[in-house]
Amino acid sequence: MKENIVIIGGGIAGMEAAKQLLVLGYNPIIIEQQDHLGGHVSQWHKLFPDMTSSHELLDGLSNQIKDANVFLETKVNSINALGDSYNVILNNGVNIVAKAVLVASGFHLFDAAKKEEYGYGVYDRVITNADLEAWFNKRADARIPEHPKAVGFVHCVGSRDLKAGNSQCSKVCCTTAIKQAIEIKEIFPETEVYCFYMDLRLFGKKYEDFYINAQRDFGVHFIRGRVSEVGETIDNRVQVKAEDTLTGKPLKVTLDLLVLMSGMVCNPRTNELAEMIGLNIDDDGFLKSKDNVYTIMESNRPGIFYAGACTGTKTVPETVAEARAAVLSIHHYLTQA
Amino acid sequence: MIDRIPSGFHPFVLPFLFGMIFVLSYCLFGIVRILWQLPKQDVRKFLLSLINPKIIVKNVWEIFRDCLIHVKLWKRNKLLGYMHSSIAFGWFMIILLGHIEVFLFVPNRIHMFYYPIFFNYFVAEGPDMTIQGSLLMFLMDFFLLIILSGIVLAMIKRVHSRFFGMRRTARPSLLNQIGLYALWAIFPLRLLAESFTAHISGGSFLTIPANWIFRQFLGNDLNMLPTWWAYSIALCVFMCVLPFTRYMHIPAEMMLIPMRNAGIKIRDSRKGFAKLQVYSCPNCGVCIDACPMSVNRGNLKDCTVYLTRQMRRGNEKRIEEISDKCLLCGKCHTVCQVQVEGPQLRIMERSRRHYNLSPDYSNIDTQPLTETASHGKVLYFSGCMSQLTPAIGQSVESILKKAGVDYVWMDRDGGLCCGRPLLTAGRAEAAKELMHKNEEIILGSGADTLLVSCPICYKMFTEEYHLPGIRVVHYSHYFSELVQQDKIRLEKSDLCYVFHDPCELGRGCGIYDEPRKLIGKSASIAEAEKNREESICCGGSLGSLTLSFAQREEMTRAALDNLYTSRADAIATACPLCLATFARYSDRPVRDLAEIIDAQSSSTQKENQ
Repeated sequence: MKENIVIIGGGIAGMEAAKQLLVLGYNPIIIEQQDHLGGHVSQWHKLFPDMTSSHELLDGLSNQIKDANVFLETKVNSINALGDSYNVILNNGVNIVAKAVLVASGFHLFDAAKKEEYGYGVYDRVITNADLEAWFNKRADARIPEHPKAVGFVHCVGSRDLKAGNSQCSKVCCTTAIKQAIEIKEIFPETEVYCFYMDLRLFGKKYEDFYINAQRDFGVHFIRGRVSEVGETIDNRVQVKAEDTLTGKPLKVTLDLLVLMSGMVCNPRTNELAEMIGLNIDDDGFLKSKDNVYTIMESNRPGIFYAGACTGTKTVPETVAEARAAVLSIHHYLTQA
Repeated sequence: MIDRIPSGFHPFVLPFLFGMIFVLSYCLFGIVRILWQLPKQDVRKFLLSLINPKIIVKNVWEIFRDCLIHVKLWKRNKLLGYMHSSIAFGWFMIILLGHIEVFLFVPNRIHMFYYPIFFNYFVAEGPDMTIQGSLLMFLMDFFLLIILSGIVLAMIKRVHSRFFGMRRTARPSLLNQIGLYALWAIFPLRLLAESFTAHISGGSFLTIPANWIFRQFLGNDLNMLPTWWAYSIALCVFMCVLPFTRYMHIPAEMMLIPMRNAGIKIRDSRKGFAKLQVYSCPNCGVCIDACPMSVNRGNLKDCTVYLTRQMRRGNEKRIEEISDKCLLCGKCHTVCQVQVEGPQLRIMERSRRHYNLSPDYSNIDTQPLTETASHGKVLYFSGCMSQLTPAIGQSVESILKKAGVDYVWMDRDGGLCCGRPLLTAGRAEAAKELMHKNEEIILGSGADTLLVSCPICYKMFTEEYHLPGIRVVHYSHYFSELVQQDKIRLEKSDLCYVFHDPCELGRGCGIYDEPRKLIGKSASIAEAEKNREESICCGGSLGSLTLSFAQREEMTRAALDNLYTSRADAIATACPLCLATFARYSDRPVRDLAEIIDAQSSSTQKENQ
């Protein structure tokens, strides 16, 4: 009989792990809260830096994990140790005993309304990065005007911001903002696009090229300086006040659309799960790995492994690589035992 | 009662005399010095107030109420109140009765001012016991008993302050301890001395039985003099250390009350009225529990009781730390029994700093700002903080539109700061410059009403600005009026709110009821455990110059925990800063008063037309 492996979370990490576990001859069981697999990636339109279609990527993965057991719209009610195994009870009454559990519960998008000064939920023309991706997918959002003259992106919304309760960098927003700025320019070539950033962290392969493209080929304006406040003009546009810290001058820009780059914060459901079974939580709220260099995918409990953004902010390639690494760790754990 | 000692003197009165002369001359010197340090016009004001009959009555009543009866302490905790008033009022009565006895029985000795204190030693019971005499003796014993019960409570309080409603008390310094033990010793020693003398001088229900008991195994005559000596020495020790201990608050407060009633303000953190306030601090430590910073043990020594202590010691480094850290929420001032103005002392302390750069606002052109305001009857000022919480301004505007009010939003597109942050940082001159600019705009606008939503600005406009002919109104009052005049109608929602009193609005401006009434008309309302004057600062205050973000977070969470005790679904407040601070950590929605009213109000304009 094939060994059961429970995967909590059916995002890109859980799906990739299921695929690899199937190859190794295990029986992966994915537990997903929502009614579809793919997590945050399924809400996205294209992925940087190659403008890969996220739907094609997920469709390919879905085809490869047809043999895995998937519970959609299901939550973990409780999880407890049972000898050298774990007993996972789901809210649909299903009871699974597995020697290994992979936590791939991912992250939450920061609630931009918490930064009230940016006016999300207050002004009509303020949206988030996720809203914009949804618009790229469906082209339906009353907040986005037909022919915007000027669009702004605010980087680091809820990231590297102690006052918002998150000190960590969300890693993906800089490049996502550049990607979205380029996409806006492709759709509306006449539109002026501004990016308000405090640092640009373009660490990955091709990210810097992406940035140079945005400036050279698309004419996106990059302004270093945090936005101090956002107001509304009489004609319902938004006015952004910021300081250009490179020239040392305050500036005001009136925009038709302001996109807030909401960052990644820990998933509160993950913390509930961690409390059930006694997993360590780091001071940033994410799960705490054994260490942050060599065994990121291992937890403080034998048989429980991590993959993806449940341990911290990650890009898609990092998440996928970590899912594979976690599968190998599970494999070693089970064969050695 | 007859005089027993012809000379009317015994050497044991010398320690007492020495202590008494010392403390009186110290206080006299202190009064002269404080008056000397006050500005001329303040001295005039003070001296004139002393001959104003109304103020005289007020002074006498307040001294009686605060220094002897301690009404505020009774309100806080009955045991604490009893402990203080038993000692203060009891002691006062003993001194008064002593004088009456001298006056009645040995009026020729009235000029010897140690006589009333040691009356029982110097007199002998006459052959004919009078009603007056025995009544006085009875009262003497009665008040001594009251004091002794107070001393017992004081001893218990030293070990278990929680019985007295105090979680923490200030730690007394060495001299304070000497003063404390001397004070504790005075009254038992007096009881002993009077008891050993009671077979000569007479006594009452306390001293006569004690005299009889002592006679059974101690020679009364033998112990009489040593105990009178000990009593006198205890008094001497107490009075000699008094100027250097917290007991200085006893004479200082009697001076503080008339000065406060004369309308004197702190103008310098080290001189005059401020000095008097520092000496008036009784070191009771009520402000420790009240201070929102005390959620962190590391901040315990930064509340007002330690500020006054360090100011007396002249520890410059600590004075600066304590002054800069404070949130200026004003709670210590509210709970203080003698109303030491902790926040104001700190602001004046901050104003002693010298900055190399001082801002220059003279080139700000108020003309463009004024012109935008020149059409409206109502000028709405939302304040800088509301730029960070745009929902407030938006809601106020929506309500004004519903009510059909002719208004202009003075700082919609950014305006000038009201000056409060500069003022609390001790930079009054710079604040004044900004205030003049704002006055120019407001007076030039042609409006007759200034509507303010931010309590920080509201306090400034009402207290510091000179705006003749302009009504400065807080939006809670203004919206109440709109409801009364039936310009808007409120409909009740199912939500239950708990109202958080912002420091600047509640303790700062005394507005507690209007917001509650309005919320009560638009939703149901619950109360937190600590509310109104006792409301806990949200931790976001602009007042603190040095508190770290992490420390503020702790305070915000403590303030939220207090609000959660109401079990309301949502939190309501009326300050942009409280709103932004609570929204960060609250587990339930936080709304500004304007948002709630806007959501629940409907216009009556169409019907009226």
